[in-house]
Amino acid sequence: MSAKILLVEDEENLAMGLEYNLKEEGYKVDWAKDGKEAIKFFAENNYDLILLDIMLPYLNGFEVAGFIRKENPQMPILMLTARTGVDDKVKGLEIGADDYITKPFHLKELLLRIKGMLKRKSWYSSVVKHEPIYKFGGNEINFENFKCRKGKTEFQLTSYEAMIMKYLILNKNKIVTRKELLENVWNTAPDVETRTIDNFMVRLRKYFENDPADPKFILSVRSAGYMFQDQI
Amino acid sequence: MIFDYCVKEFRISFMIRRKHYFVNNLVIFVLAQLVWLALLGLWIYWYVSNYLIFEQVGETVSPQINIDTPSVFPFVGGIVLLVGLSFSLVLIFRHLNVQIRLRRLYDNFIDNVTHELKSPLSSIQLYLETLVSRDVPQEKRKEFYELMMKDTARLQNLINSILEISKIESKKKRSSFALHQANEFLPKLIEDSAAQFRLNRNDLKLETTGSCEIEVDAGSFKIVFDNLIDNAIKYSTGSLKLEVKIICNQKKLEITFKDNGIGLPSNEQKKIFQKFYRIYDKDIPNVKGTGLGLYWVKEIIKNHKGKITAHSEGKAKGTTINIVLPVRKSKVTEIEREKGKLQ
Repeated sequence: MSAKILLVEDEENLAMGLEYNLKEEGYKVDWAKDGKEAIKFFAENNYDLILLDIMLPYLNGFEVAGFIRKENPQMPILMLTARTGVDDKVKGLEIGADDYITKPFHLKELLLRIKGMLKRKSWYSSVVKHEPIYKFGGNEINFENFKCRKGKTEFQLTSYEAMIMKYLILNKNKIVTRKELLENVWNTAPDVETRTIDNFMVRLRKYFENDPADPKFILSVRSAGYMFQDQI
Repeated sequence: MIFDYCVKEFRISFMIRRKHYFVNNLVIFVLAQLVWLALLGLWIYWYVSNYLIFEQVGETVSPQINIDTPSVFPFVGGIVLLVGLSFSLVLIFRHLNVQIRLRRLYDNFIDNVTHELKSPLSSIQLYLETLVSRDVPQEKRKEFYELMMKDTARLQNLINSILEISKIESKKKRSSFALHQANEFLPKLIEDSAAQFRLNRNDLKLETTGSCEIEVDAGSFKIVFDNLIDNAIKYSTGSLKLEVKIICNQKKLEITFKDNGIGLPSNEQKKIFQKFYRIYDKDIPNVKGTGLGLYWVKEIIKNHKGKITAHSEGKAKGTTINIVLPVRKSKVTEIEREKGKLQ
Protein backbone atom coordinates (compact mmCIF):
# COMPACT_ATOMS: atom_id res chain seq x y z
CA MET A 1 0.00 0.00 0.00
CA SER A 2 1.33 3.44 -0.90
CA ALA A 3 2.21 5.89 1.84
CA LYS A 4 -0.02 8.88 2.48
CA ILE A 5 1.61 12.29 2.83
CA LEU A 6 0.12 15.50 4.17
CA LEU A 7 1.65 18.41 2.28
CA VAL A 8 1.26 21.73 4.15
CA GLU A 9 2.30 24.62 1.91
CA ASP A 10 0.66 27.99 1.24
CA GLU A 11 2.67 28.76 -1.89
CA GLU A 12 0.32 27.46 -4.56
CA ASN A 13 2.90 27.09 -7.37
CA LEU A 14 5.37 25.21 -5.21
CA ALA A 15 2.69 23.01 -3.69
CA MET A 16 1.39 22.01 -7.13
CA GLY A 17 4.90 20.97 -8.21
CA LEU A 18 5.46 19.03 -5.00
CA GLU A 19 2.11 17.31 -5.26
CA TYR A 20 2.85 16.27 -8.85
CA ASN A 21 6.25 14.82 -7.94
CA LEU A 22 5.03 13.01 -4.83
CA LYS A 23 2.17 11.45 -6.80
CA GLU A 24 4.62 10.43 -9.53
CA GLU A 25 6.62 8.63 -6.81
CA GLY A 26 3.49 6.68 -5.95
CA TYR A 27 2.46 8.46 -2.76
CA LYS A 28 -1.06 9.58 -1.94
CA VAL A 29 -1.07 13.30 -1.19
CA ASP A 30 -3.41 15.67 0.63
CA TRP A 31 -2.62 19.34 0.33
CA ALA A 32 -3.40 21.75 3.17
CA LYS A 33 -3.02 25.47 2.37
CA ASP A 34 -2.69 26.78 5.91
CA GLY A 35 -2.07 25.69 9.50
CA LYS A 36 -5.78 25.49 10.33
CA GLU A 37 -6.46 23.18 7.40
CA ALA A 38 -3.39 21.06 8.25
CA ILE A 39 -4.71 20.32 11.73
CA LYS A 40 -8.17 19.59 10.36
CA PHE A 41 -6.74 17.12 7.80
CA PHE A 42 -4.48 15.55 10.43
CA ALA A 43 -7.43 15.01 12.78
CA GLU A 44 -9.58 13.46 10.07
CA ASN A 45 -7.06 11.22 8.26
CA ASN A 46 -4.15 8.90 8.86
CA TYR A 47 -0.85 9.97 7.38
CA ASP A 48 2.57 8.37 7.14
CA LEU A 49 4.49 11.63 6.87
CA ILE A 50 3.92 15.39 7.13
CA LEU A 51 5.77 17.75 4.79
CA LEU A 52 5.39 21.05 6.58
CA ASP A 53 6.21 24.63 5.60
CA ILE A 54 6.96 27.08 8.45
CA MET A 55 5.49 30.39 7.26
CA LEU A 56 1.80 29.59 7.09
CA PRO A 57 -1.38 31.58 7.58
CA TYR A 58 -3.42 31.18 10.81
CA LEU A 59 -1.00 28.78 12.54
CA ASN A 60 2.68 28.57 11.67
CA GLY A 61 4.61 25.36 11.05
CA PHE A 62 6.08 25.28 14.57
CA GLU A 63 2.60 25.38 16.09
CA VAL A 64 1.31 22.72 13.73
CA ALA A 65 4.36 20.49 14.48
CA GLY A 66 3.88 21.00 18.24
CA PHE A 67 0.26 19.96 17.99
CA ILE A 68 0.97 16.91 15.81
CA ARG A 69 3.82 15.83 18.09
CA LYS A 70 1.51 15.89 21.12
CA GLU A 71 -1.08 13.78 19.35
CA ASN A 72 1.32 11.39 17.64
CA PRO A 73 4.97 11.31 18.83
CA GLN A 74 5.96 8.87 16.07
CA MET A 75 4.65 10.87 13.10
CA PRO A 76 7.59 11.79 10.81
CA ILE A 77 7.64 15.54 10.19
CA LEU A 78 9.86 17.06 7.51
CA MET A 79 10.03 20.84 7.76
CA LEU A 80 10.34 22.87 4.60
CA THR A 81 11.21 26.52 4.81
CA ALA A 82 12.76 29.57 3.22
CA ARG A 83 14.25 30.66 6.52
CA THR A 84 17.87 29.69 7.00
CA GLY A 85 18.50 30.88 10.57
CA VAL A 86 20.04 28.34 12.94
CA ASP A 87 17.47 29.38 15.56
CA ASP A 88 14.63 28.29 13.30
CA LYS A 89 16.29 24.95 12.68
CA VAL A 90 16.89 24.38 16.38
CA LYS A 91 13.35 25.48 17.25
CA GLY A 92 11.88 23.15 14.63
CA LEU A 93 13.90 20.18 15.83
CA GLU A 94 13.16 20.95 19.48
CA ILE A 95 9.44 21.06 18.82
CA GLY A 96 9.75 17.64 17.27
CA ALA A 97 10.40 17.92 13.56
CA ASP A 98 12.50 14.97 12.42
CA ASP A 99 14.26 16.72 9.61
CA TYR A 100 14.58 20.12 8.01
CA ILE A 101 15.12 21.15 4.39
CA THR A 102 15.65 24.73 3.20
CA LYS A 103 14.27 26.35 0.07
CA PRO A 104 15.40 26.22 -2.68
CA PHE A 105 16.01 22.49 -2.49
CA HIS A 106 16.91 19.74 -4.93
CA LEU A 107 14.05 17.48 -5.86
CA LYS A 108 16.16 14.32 -5.61
CA GLU A 109 17.34 15.22 -2.12
CA LEU A 110 13.81 15.91 -0.93
CA LEU A 111 12.50 12.64 -2.33
CA LEU A 112 15.42 10.72 -0.78
CA ARG A 113 14.75 12.22 2.62
CA ILE A 114 11.05 11.38 2.40
CA LYS A 115 11.89 7.82 1.37
CA GLY A 116 14.35 7.49 4.25
CA MET A 117 11.89 8.83 6.80
CA LEU A 118 9.14 6.48 5.64
CA LYS A 119 11.52 3.51 5.71
CA ARG A 120 12.55 4.43 9.24
CA LYS A 121 8.94 4.79 10.33
CA SER A 122 8.03 1.42 8.93
CA TRP A 123 11.07 -0.26 10.59
CA TYR A 124 10.36 1.42 13.91
CA SER A 125 6.65 0.51 13.94
CA SER A 126 7.44 -3.12 13.25
CA VAL A 127 10.10 -3.45 15.96
CA VAL A 128 8.12 -1.52 18.58
CA LYS A 129 5.06 -3.76 18.20
CA HIS A 130 6.79 -6.73 19.91
CA GLU A 131 8.20 -4.89 22.90
CA PRO A 132 6.75 -1.40 23.38
CA ILE A 133 8.10 -0.99 26.93
CA TYR A 134 11.68 -1.74 27.88
CA LYS A 135 13.15 -1.67 31.40
CA PHE A 136 16.81 -1.65 32.41
CA GLY A 137 18.66 -0.63 35.59
CA GLY A 138 15.93 1.56 37.07
CA ASN A 139 15.07 3.09 33.66
CA GLU A 140 11.89 2.56 31.69
CA ILE A 141 11.31 3.52 28.05
CA ASN A 142 7.94 3.51 26.35
CA PHE A 143 8.81 3.27 22.66
CA GLU A 144 5.27 4.06 21.56
CA ASN A 145 4.90 7.49 23.10
CA PHE A 146 8.64 8.15 23.80
CA LYS A 147 7.96 8.70 27.51
CA CYS A 148 10.74 7.57 29.87
CA ARG A 149 11.29 7.22 33.56
CA LYS A 150 14.49 7.17 35.54
CA GLY A 151 13.57 6.43 39.13
CA LYS A 152 10.83 8.97 39.79
CA THR A 153 11.92 11.43 37.09
CA GLU A 154 9.86 11.42 33.92
CA PHE A 155 11.04 12.81 30.59
CA GLN A 156 10.35 12.62 26.88
CA LEU A 157 12.67 11.39 24.13
CA THR A 158 12.70 12.82 20.62
CA SER A 159 11.95 10.41 17.80
CA TYR A 160 15.65 10.12 16.83
CA GLU A 161 16.68 9.44 20.43
CA ALA A 162 14.01 6.75 20.71
CA MET A 163 15.09 5.17 17.43
CA ILE A 164 18.76 5.08 18.43
CA MET A 165 17.88 3.51 21.78
CA LYS A 166 15.68 0.96 20.04
CA TYR A 167 18.42 0.10 17.59
CA LEU A 168 21.00 -0.29 20.37
CA ILE A 169 18.61 -2.43 22.44
CA LEU A 170 17.80 -4.64 19.44
CA ASN A 171 21.54 -5.18 19.06
CA LYS A 172 22.16 -5.66 22.77
CA ASN A 173 25.71 -6.78 23.67
CA LYS A 174 26.82 -6.29 20.06
CA ILE A 175 29.01 -3.52 18.70
CA VAL A 176 27.01 -1.05 16.64
CA THR A 177 29.16 1.08 14.36
CA ARG A 178 28.46 4.75 13.62
CA LYS A 179 28.12 3.85 9.94
CA GLU A 180 25.48 1.27 10.81
CA LEU A 181 23.53 3.85 12.83
CA LEU A 182 23.78 6.35 9.99
CA GLU A 183 22.50 3.81 7.51
CA ASN A 184 19.69 2.40 9.61
CA VAL A 185 18.47 5.29 11.72
CA TRP A 186 19.22 8.30 9.51
CA ASN A 187 19.17 6.42 6.23
CA THR A 188 22.37 8.36 5.47
CA ALA A 189 20.93 11.84 5.31
CA PRO A 190 23.70 13.80 3.55
CA ASP A 191 24.13 16.48 6.20
CA VAL A 192 24.46 14.14 9.16
CA GLU A 193 28.02 13.78 10.38
CA THR A 194 29.35 10.99 12.57
CA ARG A 195 29.87 13.60 15.30
CA THR A 196 26.10 14.07 15.45
CA ILE A 197 25.84 10.46 16.60
CA ASP A 198 28.36 11.09 19.38
CA ASN A 199 26.28 14.08 20.51
CA PHE A 200 23.19 11.89 20.65
CA MET A 201 25.08 9.35 22.75
CA VAL A 202 26.15 12.05 25.21
CA ARG A 203 22.49 13.04 25.60
CA LEU A 204 21.29 9.46 26.00
CA ARG A 205 23.91 8.82 28.68
CA LYS A 206 22.73 11.90 30.55
CA TYR A 207 19.20 10.48 30.49
CA PHE A 208 19.90 6.89 31.49
CA GLU A 209 23.28 6.61 33.19
CA ASN A 210 23.79 7.24 36.90
CA ASP A 211 27.21 8.68 36.09
CA PRO A 212 27.37 9.77 32.41
CA ALA A 213 31.18 10.07 32.68
CA ASP A 214 31.39 6.42 33.62
CA PRO A 215 28.63 4.76 31.52
CA LYS A 216 27.41 1.28 32.40
CA PHE A 217 24.68 0.80 29.77
CA ILE A 218 25.73 2.74 26.68
CA LEU A 219 29.40 1.87 26.24
CA SER A 220 31.90 3.30 23.79
CA VAL A 221 34.00 0.76 21.97
CA ARG A 222 37.23 2.40 20.88
CA SER A 223 37.59 2.77 17.07
CA ALA A 224 34.46 0.71 16.56
CA GLY A 225 31.28 2.33 17.82
CA TYR A 226 28.87 1.77 20.67
CA MET A 227 27.45 -1.17 22.58
CA PHE A 228 24.39 -1.42 24.77
CA GLN A 229 24.19 -3.75 27.74
CA ASP A 230 21.44 -3.89 30.35
CA GLN A 231 23.27 -5.99 32.94
CA ILE A 232 25.82 -4.08 34.96
CA MET B 1 -12.18 22.22 18.89
CA ILE B 2 -8.61 21.24 18.01
CA PHE B 3 -8.20 24.49 16.16
CA ASP B 4 -9.55 26.51 19.09
CA TYR B 5 -7.06 24.78 21.34
CA CYS B 6 -4.17 25.68 19.06
CA VAL B 7 -5.30 29.26 18.64
CA LYS B 8 -5.61 29.58 22.42
CA GLU B 9 -2.10 28.19 22.90
CA PHE B 10 -0.68 30.56 20.34
CA ARG B 11 -2.46 33.57 21.80
CA ILE B 12 -1.10 32.77 25.24
CA SER B 13 2.46 32.50 23.86
CA PHE B 14 1.97 35.69 21.84
CA MET B 15 0.70 37.53 24.92
CA ILE B 16 3.64 36.24 26.93
CA ARG B 17 6.05 37.50 24.25
CA ARG B 18 4.38 40.92 24.16
CA LYS B 19 4.29 41.01 27.96
CA HIS B 20 8.01 40.21 28.11
CA TYR B 21 8.80 43.02 25.69
CA PHE B 22 6.68 45.45 27.71
CA VAL B 23 8.07 44.29 31.08
CA ASN B 24 11.69 44.54 29.84
CA ASN B 25 11.22 48.12 28.70
CA LEU B 26 9.37 49.04 31.85
CA VAL B 27 12.13 47.56 34.03
CA ILE B 28 14.80 49.55 32.13
CA PHE B 29 12.76 52.72 32.47
CA VAL B 30 12.11 52.26 36.20
CA LEU B 31 15.78 51.43 36.82
CA ALA B 32 16.86 54.55 34.93
CA GLN B 33 14.50 56.68 37.02
CA LEU B 34 15.83 55.09 40.22
CA VAL B 35 19.40 55.84 39.15
CA TRP B 36 18.71 59.50 38.54
CA LEU B 37 16.68 59.85 41.74
CA ALA B 38 19.56 58.27 43.65
CA LEU B 39 21.95 60.73 41.99
CA LEU B 40 19.69 63.63 42.94
CA GLY B 41 19.51 62.38 46.55
CA LEU B 42 23.27 61.95 46.62
CA TRP B 43 23.76 65.44 45.30
CA ILE B 44 21.45 67.00 47.96
CA TYR B 45 23.10 64.92 50.67
CA TRP B 46 26.60 65.88 49.49
CA TYR B 47 25.66 69.55 49.23
CA VAL B 48 23.98 69.75 52.66
CA SER B 49 26.71 67.78 54.49
CA ASN B 50 29.47 69.82 52.90
CA TYR B 51 27.67 73.01 53.78
CA LEU B 52 27.43 71.89 57.42
CA ILE B 53 31.14 70.97 57.53
CA PHE B 54 32.05 74.26 55.92
CA GLU B 55 29.90 76.13 58.44
CA GLN B 56 31.57 74.29 61.37
CA VAL B 57 35.06 74.84 59.97
CA GLY B 58 34.23 78.46 59.27
CA GLU B 59 33.03 79.05 62.80
CA THR B 60 36.15 77.41 64.29
CA VAL B 61 38.67 79.14 62.04
CA SER B 62 37.15 82.55 61.86
CA PRO B 63 34.01 83.28 63.87
CA GLN B 64 33.86 86.67 62.16
CA ILE B 65 32.82 85.09 58.85
CA ASN B 66 29.10 85.37 58.70
CA ILE B 67 27.41 82.50 56.92
CA ASP B 68 23.71 83.24 57.10
CA THR B 69 22.22 81.10 54.42
CA PRO B 70 23.63 78.59 52.00
CA SER B 71 24.25 79.95 48.53
CA VAL B 72 21.23 79.14 46.38
CA PHE B 73 23.02 79.27 43.03
CA PRO B 74 25.15 76.08 43.21
CA PHE B 75 22.29 74.19 44.85
CA VAL B 76 19.78 75.10 42.16
CA GLY B 77 22.47 74.70 39.50
CA GLY B 78 23.13 71.16 40.67
CA ILE B 79 19.45 70.29 40.65
CA VAL B 80 19.05 71.75 37.14
CA LEU B 81 22.00 69.67 35.99
CA LEU B 82 20.49 66.52 37.44
CA VAL B 83 17.08 67.22 35.96
CA GLY B 84 18.85 67.79 32.65
CA LEU B 85 20.59 64.49 33.12
CA SER B 86 17.32 62.70 33.76
CA PHE B 87 15.78 64.38 30.71
CA SER B 88 18.70 63.21 28.58
CA LEU B 89 18.25 59.74 30.03
CA VAL B 90 14.60 59.73 28.97
CA LEU B 91 15.62 60.94 25.49
CA ILE B 92 18.27 58.20 25.21
CA PHE B 93 15.72 55.65 26.38
CA ARG B 94 13.21 56.82 23.77
CA HIS B 95 15.84 56.80 21.06
CA LEU B 96 16.91 53.31 22.07
CA ASN B 97 13.33 52.11 21.91
CA VAL B 98 12.93 53.56 18.42
CA GLN B 99 16.17 51.84 17.39
CA ILE B 100 14.98 48.52 18.79
CA ARG B 101 11.66 48.88 16.96
CA LEU B 102 13.42 49.75 13.69
CA ARG B 103 15.81 46.84 14.10
CA ARG B 104 12.87 44.51 14.61
CA LEU B 105 11.09 45.90 11.53
CA TYR B 106 14.28 45.52 9.51
CA ASP B 107 14.77 41.92 10.68
CA ASN B 108 11.17 41.15 9.74
CA PHE B 109 11.75 42.76 6.36
CA ILE B 110 14.83 40.61 5.72
CA ASP B 111 12.86 37.51 6.75
CA ASN B 112 9.98 38.48 4.48
CA VAL B 113 12.19 39.34 1.50
CA THR B 114 14.08 36.07 1.94
CA HIS B 115 10.76 34.25 1.91
CA GLU B 116 9.49 36.22 -1.09
CA LEU B 117 12.70 35.57 -3.05
CA LYS B 118 13.20 31.96 -2.14
CA SER B 119 9.63 30.75 -2.60
CA PRO B 120 9.34 31.52 -6.35
CA LEU B 121 12.98 30.48 -6.83
CA SER B 122 12.33 27.06 -5.25
CA SER B 123 9.23 26.67 -7.34
CA ILE B 124 11.16 27.42 -10.58
CA GLN B 125 13.96 25.04 -9.53
CA LEU B 126 11.44 22.33 -8.69
CA TYR B 127 9.73 22.58 -12.09
CA LEU B 128 13.03 22.66 -13.97
CA GLU B 129 14.31 19.59 -12.12
CA THR B 130 10.98 17.86 -12.72
CA LEU B 131 11.15 18.59 -16.44
CA VAL B 132 14.74 17.35 -16.60
CA SER B 133 14.26 14.18 -14.58
CA ARG B 134 10.76 13.06 -15.57
CA ASP B 135 8.90 12.29 -18.72
CA VAL B 136 6.26 15.00 -18.31
CA PRO B 137 3.27 14.93 -20.70
CA GLN B 138 2.97 17.88 -23.10
CA GLU B 139 -0.14 19.31 -21.39
CA LYS B 140 1.59 19.32 -18.01
CA ARG B 141 4.72 20.83 -19.52
CA LYS B 142 2.70 23.82 -20.72
CA GLU B 143 1.18 24.19 -17.28
CA PHE B 144 4.64 24.08 -15.66
CA TYR B 145 6.01 26.73 -18.05
CA GLU B 146 3.11 29.02 -17.19
CA LEU B 147 3.68 28.51 -13.46
CA MET B 148 7.39 29.27 -13.89
CA MET B 149 6.52 32.45 -15.79
CA LYS B 150 4.24 33.51 -12.92
CA ASP B 151 7.13 32.93 -10.52
CA THR B 152 9.58 34.96 -12.59
CA ALA B 153 7.01 37.78 -12.75
CA ARG B 154 6.74 37.64 -8.96
CA LEU B 155 10.51 37.87 -8.62
CA GLN B 156 10.62 40.74 -11.07
CA ASN B 157 7.90 42.62 -9.16
CA LEU B 158 9.76 42.23 -5.89
CA ILE B 159 13.06 43.42 -7.32
CA ASN B 160 11.33 46.32 -9.09
CA SER B 161 9.54 47.39 -5.93
CA ILE B 162 12.79 47.55 -3.96
CA LEU B 163 14.58 49.48 -6.72
CA GLU B 164 11.69 51.87 -7.39
CA ILE B 165 11.18 52.68 -3.70
CA SER B 166 14.86 53.43 -3.40
CA LYS B 167 14.58 55.78 -6.43
CA ILE B 168 11.55 57.57 -4.99
CA GLU B 169 13.26 58.00 -1.63
CA SER B 170 16.41 59.42 -3.14
CA LYS B 171 14.32 61.67 -5.46
CA LYS B 172 15.91 60.02 -8.48
CA LYS B 173 12.62 58.74 -9.83
CA ARG B 174 11.80 60.23 -13.21
CA SER B 175 8.05 60.45 -13.51
CA SER B 176 6.41 61.14 -16.81
CA PHE B 177 3.50 63.27 -15.71
CA ALA B 178 0.81 63.80 -18.31
CA LEU B 179 -2.67 65.29 -18.36
CA HIS B 180 -5.49 62.78 -18.33
CA GLN B 181 -9.26 62.95 -18.20
CA ALA B 182 -9.77 61.24 -14.80
CA ASN B 183 -13.22 59.74 -15.51
CA GLU B 184 -11.85 57.95 -18.59
CA PHE B 185 -8.25 57.26 -17.66
CA LEU B 186 -8.63 55.88 -14.11
CA PRO B 187 -11.44 53.31 -14.74
CA LYS B 188 -9.42 51.84 -17.61
CA LEU B 189 -6.32 51.56 -15.44
CA ILE B 190 -8.30 49.93 -12.60
CA GLU B 191 -9.96 47.48 -15.00
CA ASP B 192 -6.52 46.54 -16.39
CA SER B 193 -5.21 45.84 -12.89
CA ALA B 194 -8.31 43.82 -12.00
CA ALA B 195 -7.90 41.74 -15.16
CA GLN B 196 -4.23 41.17 -14.38
CA PHE B 197 -5.19 39.74 -10.96
CA ARG B 198 -7.98 37.71 -12.58
CA LEU B 199 -10.63 39.46 -10.54
CA ASN B 200 -14.07 38.54 -11.82
CA ARG B 201 -15.62 41.50 -13.66
CA ASN B 202 -18.85 41.08 -11.62
CA ASP B 203 -16.92 41.42 -8.37
CA LEU B 204 -15.66 44.87 -9.33
CA LYS B 205 -18.14 47.75 -9.15
CA LEU B 206 -16.82 50.96 -10.70
CA GLU B 207 -18.65 54.27 -10.31
CA THR B 208 -17.57 57.60 -11.72
CA THR B 209 -19.08 60.97 -10.82
CA GLY B 210 -18.15 64.21 -12.58
CA SER B 211 -15.20 64.86 -14.79
CA CYS B 212 -11.86 66.54 -14.22
CA GLU B 213 -8.32 66.62 -15.49
CA ILE B 214 -5.46 65.21 -13.50
CA GLU B 215 -1.73 65.31 -14.04
CA VAL B 216 -0.37 61.88 -13.22
CA ASP B 217 2.29 59.37 -14.14
CA ALA B 218 0.36 56.46 -15.65
CA GLY B 219 3.03 53.84 -14.77
CA SER B 220 3.05 54.87 -11.13
CA PHE B 221 -0.73 54.83 -10.92
CA LYS B 222 -0.83 51.33 -12.36
CA ILE B 223 1.44 50.30 -9.46
CA VAL B 224 -0.95 51.97 -6.99
CA PHE B 225 -3.98 50.07 -8.31
CA ASP B 226 -2.04 46.80 -8.64
CA ASN B 227 -1.02 47.01 -5.00
CA LEU B 228 -4.48 47.97 -3.77
CA ILE B 229 -6.18 45.16 -5.68
CA ASP B 230 -3.50 42.65 -4.69
CA ASN B 231 -3.99 43.61 -1.03
CA ALA B 232 -7.76 43.36 -1.30
CA ILE B 233 -7.38 39.83 -2.72
CA LYS B 234 -4.78 38.78 -0.15
CA TYR B 235 -6.77 39.97 2.83
CA SER B 236 -10.18 38.59 2.03
CA THR B 237 -11.45 35.22 3.13
CA GLY B 238 -14.58 34.67 1.03
CA SER B 239 -15.35 35.94 -2.45
CA LEU B 240 -13.99 39.45 -2.87
CA LYS B 241 -16.32 42.32 -3.72
CA LEU B 242 -14.58 45.54 -4.62
CA GLU B 243 -16.35 48.88 -4.94
CA VAL B 244 -14.39 51.72 -6.51
CA LYS B 245 -15.78 55.25 -6.62
CA ILE B 246 -14.14 58.07 -8.52
CA ILE B 247 -15.56 61.44 -7.60
CA CYS B 248 -14.37 64.51 -9.49
CA ASN B 249 -15.08 68.09 -8.65
CA GLN B 250 -13.43 71.41 -9.35
CA LYS B 251 -11.17 71.24 -6.31
CA LYS B 252 -10.15 67.63 -5.95
CA LEU B 253 -10.40 64.08 -7.15
CA GLU B 254 -11.37 61.40 -4.69
CA ILE B 255 -10.90 57.67 -5.25
CA THR B 256 -12.33 55.20 -2.72
CA PHE B 257 -11.50 51.52 -2.75
CA LYS B 258 -13.90 49.58 -0.57
CA ASP B 259 -13.51 45.82 -0.07
CA ASN B 260 -15.39 43.23 1.96
CA GLY B 261 -12.20 41.70 3.39
CA ILE B 262 -10.98 41.00 6.90
CA GLY B 263 -10.84 44.70 7.87
CA LEU B 264 -8.31 46.57 9.97
CA PRO B 265 -8.14 47.26 13.70
CA SER B 266 -8.27 51.02 14.38
CA ASN B 267 -4.74 51.13 15.83
CA GLU B 268 -3.27 49.71 12.59
CA GLN B 269 -4.98 52.08 10.16
CA LYS B 270 -2.14 54.62 10.07
CA LYS B 271 0.68 52.15 10.60
CA ILE B 272 0.00 50.11 7.45
CA PHE B 273 1.58 52.87 5.33
CA GLN B 274 4.86 52.73 7.26
CA LYS B 275 7.90 51.20 5.60
CA PHE B 276 8.37 47.46 6.34
CA TYR B 277 5.23 47.44 8.49
CA ARG B 278 3.21 44.24 8.44
CA ILE B 279 0.34 43.12 10.62
CA TYR B 280 1.00 39.85 12.42
CA ASP B 281 -2.36 38.46 13.33
CA LYS B 282 -3.58 34.90 13.52
CA ASP B 283 -6.76 35.79 11.64
CA ILE B 284 -4.92 37.04 8.56
CA PRO B 285 -5.31 34.54 5.72
CA ASN B 286 -2.03 35.46 4.05
CA VAL B 287 1.57 35.60 5.20
CA LYS B 288 3.14 36.73 1.94
CA GLY B 289 4.54 40.22 1.50
CA THR B 290 7.43 42.47 2.39
CA GLY B 291 5.76 45.40 4.12
CA LEU B 292 6.69 47.65 1.19
CA GLY B 293 3.53 47.67 -0.95
CA LEU B 294 1.43 50.29 0.85
CA TYR B 295 4.51 52.36 1.67
CA TRP B 296 5.26 52.45 -2.06
CA VAL B 297 1.65 53.45 -2.78
CA LYS B 298 1.83 56.23 -0.18
CA GLU B 299 5.10 57.56 -1.65
CA ILE B 300 3.61 57.62 -5.17
CA ILE B 301 0.52 59.49 -3.97
CA LYS B 302 2.76 61.90 -2.05
CA ASN B 303 4.76 62.43 -5.25
CA HIS B 304 1.47 63.44 -6.92
CA LYS B 305 0.77 65.90 -4.06
CA GLY B 306 -2.11 63.74 -2.86
CA LYS B 307 -3.11 62.01 0.34
CA ILE B 308 -3.99 58.42 1.16
CA THR B 309 -5.79 57.08 4.23
CA ALA B 310 -7.25 53.75 5.32
CA HIS B 311 -10.41 53.23 7.26
CA SER B 312 -12.22 50.20 8.60
CA GLU B 313 -15.16 49.62 10.89
CA GLY B 314 -13.16 46.81 12.44
CA LYS B 315 -12.38 43.15 11.96
CA ALA B 316 -14.32 41.36 9.22
CA LYS B 317 -15.96 44.62 8.19
CA GLY B 318 -13.87 45.40 5.14
CA THR B 319 -11.40 48.20 4.47
CA THR B 320 -11.78 51.47 2.61
CA ILE B 321 -8.74 53.14 1.09
CA ASN B 322 -9.24 56.79 0.30
CA ILE B 323 -7.05 58.70 -2.14
CA VAL B 324 -7.37 62.44 -2.65
CA LEU B 325 -5.56 64.13 -5.53
CA PRO B 326 -5.41 67.72 -6.73
CA VAL B 327 -7.07 68.39 -10.07
CA ARG B 328 -5.86 70.54 -12.90
CA LYS B 329 -8.10 73.60 -13.00
CA SER B 330 -9.61 73.99 -16.43
CA LYS B 331 -9.29 77.27 -18.29
CA VAL B 332 -13.08 77.77 -18.23
CA THR B 333 -13.08 77.50 -14.42
CA GLU B 334 -10.22 79.94 -14.15
CA ILE B 335 -11.98 82.45 -16.45
CA GLU B 336 -15.20 82.11 -14.44
CA ARG B 337 -13.27 82.72 -11.21
CA GLU B 338 -11.60 85.78 -12.69
CA LYS B 339 -15.04 87.08 -13.73
CA GLY B 340 -16.33 86.53 -10.21
CA LYS B 341 -13.43 88.53 -8.77
CA LEU B 342 -14.08 91.43 -11.15
CA GLN B 343 -17.79 91.56 -10.29
